[in-house]
Amino acid sequence: MNKAFRNAIRDVFNDGGLIIFFLLVPLIYPLLYTFIYTNETVHEVPVAVVDADGSSMSREFLRRLDASPDVKIVSHERSLEEARTRVKHREAYGVVCIAEDFTRNIMRMEQAHVNLYCDMSGMLYYKAILSSATDVSLGMNADIKVSRAGNTTDREDEVTVQPLHYEQTALFNPQNGFAAFLIPAVLMIVIQQTLLLGVGMEAGTRRERMESTRQFPQTEEFTLDDRAMIETIGNEENGFAKKKHPRSPQPHHASRRALRTLLGRSTAFLMIYVPIAVFEMGVVPHLFDLPQIGNAWEILAFSLPYLLACILFAITLSVLPRNRESVILLVVFSSVPILFLSGVSWPGSAFPWYWKTLSYLIPSTFGVNGFVRLNTMGADLSAVRFEYFALWTQVLLYGLTAWWVTRKNELYKIDLKRFYRRWSKTRNKAS
Amino acid sequence: MYKIFIREWRRILTRPIYIFCIVAVPLFCALFFTTMMDKGLPQDMPIGMVDLDNSTTTRTLARNLDAFQNTDIVANYPSVTEARKALQRGEIYAFYYIPKGTTQKLIRQESPTVSFYTNNTFLMAGSLLYKDMRTLTELVGGAAGRTVLFAHGATNRQAMAFLQPIVLETRAIGNPSLNYSIYLSNILAPGLISLMVLFITVFSIGQEIKEGTGRVLLRLADGSAGKALIAKLLPQTLLFSLMAVLTGLYLYGYLGYPCFCGIPTMLGLLVLFVVASQGLGVLMICALPSPRLGLSFASLWGVISFSICGMSFPVMAMHPTLQGLSYLSPLRHYFLLYVNCALNGYELFNAWPYFAALCGFALLPCLFVERFRTLMTRIAYDP
Repeated sequence: MNKAFRNAIRDVFNDGGLIIFFLLVPLIYPLLYTFIYTNETVHEVPVAVVDADGSSMSREFLRRLDASPDVKIVSHERSLEEARTRVKHREAYGVVCIAEDFTRNIMRMEQAHVNLYCDMSGMLYYKAILSSATDVSLGMNADIKVSRAGNTTDREDEVTVQPLHYEQTALFNPQNGFAAFLIPAVLMIVIQQTLLLGVGMEAGTRRERMESTRQFPQTEEFTLDDRAMIETIGNEENGFAKKKHPRSPQPHHASRRALRTLLGRSTAFLMIYVPIAVFEMGVVPHLFDLPQIGNAWEILAFSLPYLLACILFAITLSVLPRNRESVILLVVFSSVPILFLSGVSWPGSAFPWYWKTLSYLIPSTFGVNGFVRLNTMGADLSAVRFEYFALWTQVLLYGLTAWWVTRKNELYKIDLKRFYRRWSKTRNKAS
Repeated sequence: MYKIFIREWRRILTRPIYIFCIVAVPLFCALFFTTMMDKGLPQDMPIGMVDLDNSTTTRTLARNLDAFQNTDIVANYPSVTEARKALQRGEIYAFYYIPKGTTQKLIRQESPTVSFYTNNTFLMAGSLLYKDMRTLTELVGGAAGRTVLFAHGATNRQAMAFLQPIVLETRAIGNPSLNYSIYLSNILAPGLISLMVLFITVFSIGQEIKEGTGRVLLRLADGSAGKALIAKLLPQTLLFSLMAVLTGLYLYGYLGYPCFCGIPTMLGLLVLFVVASQGLGVLMICALPSPRLGLSFASLWGVISFSICGMSFPVMAMHPTLQGLSYLSPLRHYFLLYVNCALNGYELFNAWPYFAALCGFALLPCLFVERFRTLMTRIAYDP
């Protein structure tokens, strides 16, 4: 069996940190997130009302408002100032203010005004208050119109109420839920970010171990002589080439060794991540009753290039961290911008060109879009072919870069081995 | 004590990871979110039109819809199925369907039905487009009714009073243009600074443990763990505060986001927020004294904080357990202080519990001085 494959598997299951990032986080994080958003939307937003009119019509308005599912009237105040105090103490998130000439205006066939003051600390409060109040006012308007029109038939009433009917259909997320919209994106991003963290950490560990198991001085603590020796050693073929062991690796083997290592490692990560992907993309949406109308096989087919792209992307980036902890510092913060770059919360059509370009470099951009369409919107694979091919392009691109960084690492390893041989020899001589 | 201070400065300046976390990340995030959402609302989102009627009236309707700021009609589809497929391909976020004979029925007063379909998988795009399409349809219906009323000899005022007896007037306090950048960037940018503060606090103390240099640190502080801790964290406090202040000046000064309490108050709150996050960071590394576990804890809590603080999804809609948990995050308190002071312009005293909570987070390290000493003197490092 491939040595790199074996080593990667052994590393992952032998290391507390890697178990956290490869197994615990992908399993627990989605559950935690879904738990946060599981109520989907906000209901019964508290509002304060100021009813200066106090007529049967204004009470009717408020009764209907209170009856709507998203708004709850928590207090009746005498003045706007008092109502604002409620908002100030966060007991209410909006004020509905009915002026004292409300009924009079309606009776005089003039327009009557209802004022709405919304706290803008959360868009959902605003949306709930505004849409409930709009619905109530449209309903009241319809009734007033009918009573005025003096129609004789029900059909005539219908025409008066609404000369142009409309129906709205919220496709794929009928309850306008937060979980149904955010969680699929979070699931895909969790896959990518945990791979970045895990692979980076594994690389950092190997780097630390490579240097420490050979009782090698830390890279930072090399003396100048050591450094010079390492640097010349790659060029100075003659001294070693004559007596080399037939199986001792040579710099010109690096490319092939890199390919083998890369294949071994990425297969290992792929094997670990296929079950995790099944959990994220199949089980979590099922557990929390999120929209799931896609074809499972197509989703599986789509997940293959996504996982490969993520793994190769992660291997490419794993050269950046110097030691095993620093990868956390480099990767974790990026989850928030990456969520934005996927175009789920802020629509991709409104991106400035530079962020659009950046988003094309990240596998999750295509992964999230493809998965959302396949799973939540029930599209077939041909509808996401752009994302599908973009991911395969990334696999090729990041495959090349990953091979290149692995090759550099192999060269470094070969250097280290030769250096160690010579270093220990001189050391033995000295002692 | 100043020796540790200098030593810490040297560490920060010579290790690129510190510069990356302290300077680059806050800078990038502040610019990223504000440039991404610089228009406030997403403009010209693509929608499709399925106009089977294709009369002057419906074409006018389409033109008017296209003229809405957020909406851009990019294509006409011959059928609903075609439009739905385009929706699934991600080319459009919504489409408007006008069946055949709509105009005829409208003129005959047979109240025809039009439909609009929004893709609410993209919640923001879906709800904004829904708003536009609904407004337009109400207007068209109104216009049809108005024509009839005018024909009866009504004045414009009478017609409006008949068509819309009750008018809603909405005032969005603090953010009248519904600017999403005000709503999100004001919390995301400081929130990411706080995340980096947690990381750097945990990381820098963790490195001392890992490298076994804690005793050196204590010796430099003449054996006083409290002094050592303060001198170690002070350079980070200064740098992070500088970044937070710059972010504040950028948001409230340069971009002119609402700040009714005055910029100095917000800058003060930002600095307090940085120190509070450091306090929480000390708790994290003292509770899980290995760099790896400490950082895992910090990243878990730091990232969850963005969701649990209630900036996008209200805390009151969460499970009661989570409502309680949310107060364990400094970001929640900072968010409430920001809403109270900058967005709504109430006096700071009105939000004193949150202020006190941030001060509490900032004072947390006082409890952990002895624990810090133990950690610093212990030599074993378990990788």
